[in-house]
Amino acid sequence: MSLSFNCPNCGAEVVFRSAALPARVCGYCHSLLTRNDGGVMVVGKSSPLPFDVSPVQIGMRGRIEDQPFEVIGRVRWAWTDGAWNEWLLLFGDGSHAWLGDAMGQFMLLRERPFSEVQTRTLKDIARGKEAMPGAEITLDARKLAIVDARDVICVAAEGELPFTPTTGWKLYSVDLRGAKGECATLQRDALATTFYQGQYVTLADLAPTGLRAFEGWALPAYAA
Amino acid sequence: MQPEMQPVADIQLPAAPAVKALACPACGGSVELRAAGYSVSVVCQYCSSILDVADPQVKLIAQYNQAAEALEIPLGSRGTLRGVEWEAIGYMQRSAYGGGAWDEYLLFNPYHGYRWLITDGRGWSLGEQLTVTPLRDDYETLRLGNQTYQRFYEDSTARVDYVLGEFYWRVAVGEEVVGADWARPGAMLSREKNAHEVSWTRSVLLTHKEMADAFGVRKGASWPPMPHQPSPNAAWLGMGFKIFAGMFLLLAVLILAFGGTSWTSAGRFPVAPDGSERTVTLGPIHFGHLYQRVEIRADVPTLENGWVDLDYSLVDRRTQQVYEAYGAAERYSGSDSDGPWTEGSRGSSVSVASVPAGDYDLVVDYKGNRWSSGSLYSPRYVGMPEDLGWMTPVNKPEVVVEVRTGALFLSSFWIALILLGLPLLIGLIRHIQFDKARQAESDFAPTGFAALGASEDDE
Repeated sequence: MSLSFNCPNCGAEVVFRSAALPARVCGYCHSLLTRNDGGVMVVGKSSPLPFDVSPVQIGMRGRIEDQPFEVIGRVRWAWTDGAWNEWLLLFGDGSHAWLGDAMGQFMLLRERPFSEVQTRTLKDIARGKEAMPGAEITLDARKLAIVDARDVICVAAEGELPFTPTTGWKLYSVDLRGAKGECATLQRDALATTFYQGQYVTLADLAPTGLRAFEGWALPAYAA
Repeated sequence: MQPEMQPVADIQLPAAPAVKALACPACGGSVELRAAGYSVSVVCQYCSSILDVADPQVKLIAQYNQAAEALEIPLGSRGTLRGVEWEAIGYMQRSAYGGGAWDEYLLFNPYHGYRWLITDGRGWSLGEQLTVTPLRDDYETLRLGNQTYQRFYEDSTARVDYVLGEFYWRVAVGEEVVGADWARPGAMLSREKNAHEVSWTRSVLLTHKEMADAFGVRKGASWPPMPHQPSPNAAWLGMGFKIFAGMFLLLAVLILAFGGTSWTSAGRFPVAPDGSERTVTLGPIHFGHLYQRVEIRADVPTLENGWVDLDYSLVDRRTQQVYEAYGAAERYSGSDSDGPWTEGSRGSSVSVASVPAGDYDLVVDYKGNRWSSGSLYSPRYVGMPEDLGWMTPVNKPEVVVEVRTGALFLSSFWIALILLGLPLLIGLIRHIQFDKARQAESDFAPTGFAALGASEDDE
């Protein structure tokens, strides 16, 4: 059941659609809001998102794994050599997933309790060890290799989110990849470790409608 | 709590600008960013300085002061390849240590991401970075999907010599990766490794027409062939072999359908001792196929120093149509200073093509002849006891005739097969030449046809 409030900062209407997504950014004043039993409160302010040419936007809908979804949030992360978007997809069954949007490729990732991830290497990383790119782990009888490990920083955010995307929030992020397009990300900060697992997808795989339009570019045939 | 999916609201936002302009901190020139949000580095087209655009504050990474090179595909130009429009946004000139140099253009489409256009001055390839890892069949063979790729270039260090435009990573002149390549006709797999990452790219060879239509580029050199250039003969050779095999099968079927029978006796008849001409009628002989080639074989077991003339007439009992053939058996023997000798044969074989089905009589007009060395007279006129030679009645000289039907037009089929086979052979030779030239650049042992004639100790 979605709940509607007025932004305590600017008074604009803000909607929270799921109890699992207690944070959001006010679409008008960029205030960071969290929802609790008492209502909504301002916990900070998000930086405006820099201009980019991502084809995804809030409100884009699609269908994957036999489930319809809508894009309802986004966090932009940066590291020393680049930046990328993580789009939040809310599915018809109430679950959510992240659509990583980096270097023209897309990854569909769902959070998985880290307690289920029983690999020594990843547990060591969660305890503070550095990840070694190239190291292989076996998860659910599948091999994944660590391809990247770096410090990332939250740049900006919009829409509804499962956590408060404080600008400047730092994480240690480890990317893993399998031979058949499987991928996973481990994110660690001082307080917790989160684990996301999924696979590479193409924009066409998502059967998107409401893609962002750009001057001078034709929408792909499947979305036009 | 079930969240509510809001009803589909028409998102009618105005199209966003696709290009972001920024000022080069080095020369002040206006630099266009065509993949804002993805691009990390931009090389200023006016002064070649490398700028960091990872965050909104544009930073100068390396200041140069040189005019940009004129590119074969000017950055910002667009072209449609295989149904997708691409904009050229970046250019790199790269070279391998101890190897050649090549050009790579980075293509971008906001809905399709990035691709590469790669050329070494011969043809152009369209490369896409893979999200899967090829499987290793063996040391020299990789598998992607159901296609295999043969190892072509060994690991070698490739260096960036020149850059222009924008890239989704921090680009630098002098940047090195270790590359290796695998090839199959029409496509290549390339692996690039640096200290942090391994990436795989699959590139497909584009035709000159595709590239000319898309980006108006000139035709490159066509020899020697590129590692993944398909042999111009391979395609039609494959079809040619199929046609050849098809013809062969057809032939086999026809041989069965119009196929021959084994030799069957048509009759035997005596040779007149006086050498007079006689006629026998053998038959009826039945021919079952629509048309057949009829072979007639005669054998004269006692023939020695003489000959038998044989005139055959196959007469269709129903139509009285006559098919004629002439044969002769002759055999001589003797002895001279070199010892005994023989010449000729006691048999004779003739054939009649295209005999229609029906019941036939075989009418044989035949005449036995005797050859006497050195005698110029005819003994019959001098009343001497005649030396009848092989025709003496004691010998019971006789002719044995056998008939069989052979496959119709067999020889024409063989000629057709040879005519088909000859271009195949020429094509095969040219294909082998092509493949040898194609693989000459490889760091690995030749494979396939190019391995023919390459001895093991070449290694």
